[in-house]
Amino acid sequence: MMVRSKSSRMVRTIVGWAVVALFAFPLYYWMTVAFKEGNEIFNWPPKVWSFTPTIKNFEEVFGISFGFGFGEQREVLPGGGNFRMGPRLWDSIVIAILSTALAITIATLASYALSRMNFRGRHHFVSWVLSTRMMPPVAVAIPIFFIYKDIGLLDTYTGVILIHALMNLPLAVLLMKSFFDDIPGEIDESALVDGASRWLIFRRIVLPMVKGGIAATAVLCFIFSWTEFLFVLTLTQTGLKTVPVVSSTFVTSTGTAWGSMAALGAAAMIPAFIFILLVQKHLVRGLTLGSVKQ
Amino acid sequence: MKLGVLSPDRPFIWMLPLIAILIAFTIIPLFYNIWLSFHEYAPFKRALEPVGLKNWSLLLSDERMWEALGTTILYFVVVLTAEVVLGMGIALLLDTEEFGFGFLRTVLTLTLVVPPAIVGMMYLLIEDPEFGVLTYVLDAAGLLDKATPILSTASTALWGVMLADIWQWTPFMVLIFLAGLRSLPPEPYEAAMLDGASAVMTFRRITLPLLNKVIAVAILIRGIDVFRMFDYVFVMTSGGPGTSTYTLSLYAWQQTFSFIKWGYGATLSLFTLAIILIVANLFIYIAKVRW
Repeated sequence: MMVRSKSSRMVRTIVGWAVVALFAFPLYYWMTVAFKEGNEIFNWPPKVWSFTPTIKNFEEVFGISFGFGFGEQREVLPGGGNFRMGPRLWDSIVIAILSTALAITIATLASYALSRMNFRGRHHFVSWVLSTRMMPPVAVAIPIFFIYKDIGLLDTYTGVILIHALMNLPLAVLLMKSFFDDIPGEIDESALVDGASRWLIFRRIVLPMVKGGIAATAVLCFIFSWTEFLFVLTLTQTGLKTVPVVSSTFVTSTGTAWGSMAALGAAAMIPAFIFILLVQKHLVRGLTLGSVKQ
Repeated sequence: MKLGVLSPDRPFIWMLPLIAILIAFTIIPLFYNIWLSFHEYAPFKRALEPVGLKNWSLLLSDERMWEALGTTILYFVVVLTAEVVLGMGIALLLDTEEFGFGFLRTVLTLTLVVPPAIVGMMYLLIEDPEFGVLTYVLDAAGLLDKATPILSTASTALWGVMLADIWQWTPFMVLIFLAGLRSLPPEPYEAAMLDGASAVMTFRRITLPLLNKVIAVAILIRGIDVFRMFDYVFVMTSGGPGTSTYTLSLYAWQQTFSFIKWGYGATLSLFTLAIILIVANLFIYIAKVRW
């Protein structure tokens, strides 16, 4: 922007790296705990740089040699629980993928209409969708718990998938609408004049043009389902649990299994890290529900 | 063939699945919740019984509710202010094409995808009184004695929780503000430079007004999430020590699921919902945010 002296550029570089290092530190430290033996985790002063790395925590959490739950448990951890997490990781993946698919399907259809067709009350409809984003999860979870209990959806994949899809719908609808809005409406209109049906135009012309937008929306939906806590905590009991909820059970009255928890947490972060790097281009638009474009 | 309102040329059929799921999962639960707020679970009868307005009058006279509301507002003001101010500062710092800054911006996005419950655990570890890194640093710097455990001292616990939130979501503000900064037109800055305006003056008179909309959207979206915050307190303090870190969401959840006060929990959650809807819509109206 402005011409700056060499020394002020130096200062900016140093401060920039220092600030980002401060933000990266908790992640780095968490990773070191995942690779530490128990006695090194509890060291005072805390061991930040020098420790003997081990993959013992990962073996404990995922079963020996990463057999996804088929290995022998080597020792009883604090709390005495079963900390083999392969199946819980599977629960997380199933719920995140299916709820994302459901949210994207519903949102893409609706946002096409919201972007392309004029109708009375369209603005109010968008406001309604946005206002569902304002509902505190607890105000949804309480009634849904009792409704699920009555209709037998408590502690089921279907129940959690539906509620995660619902949670992601405002984001998905508003974001997809912004991607549809980017494509000029004349394309649809000239195809309509040529006699193509709305459905054909949607499938063959418009949908292929928003592929990137769908991918970005899907990644964000996946991440929000992957990291969601309150609904899974409330609506599941023993049948299934996702990673964030099950890691909170590692804190027990007889101690916290920090190593196992860090290993599980680290494993849960990696897919999300990879996904977020893939959608950098649309990240800000996604986080602001389509209202700020990069 | 005449399909009328169900024709693909009309919007209704396209929006039908969305309308169906929104009615099933927001409208019906909302009415169920309202119905629930006029009932309470009677342990001896093992059933809900109507109690009229009792839950709502209890809400107004419940000191713990007012304390939780106060905690929620304090948390909301401190966290949101910190995230906006720090976010703007860091965005201005990183808004350059110099070598390495693209990498720095990418690293910052990583905090956003960690499950908040795991962030809570991360800070539980960092703030641990026996072996936490932050405890060590504060102790070594003479700021806070090791004998004062951050999360189990009433005066510091909420600040310990706020730190986790600020750490995770300041990068959210940074990214949004950076996108805003990059879309600014160059002309006003050229004019300001010709006039010899100072950097502070340029920021206050040009950058801030031009970023108005972007800042409003960021505050709205983050503000909603901060006000209904649950994960960090649930994992880090469960409302303790004593009742010093109860937020409205946590209090409502605990009344329902730990103390079997189904009706009162529903009342509390509706109260939280009402505050968010009113304040957020007022903000949208005043700040003229449009979607």
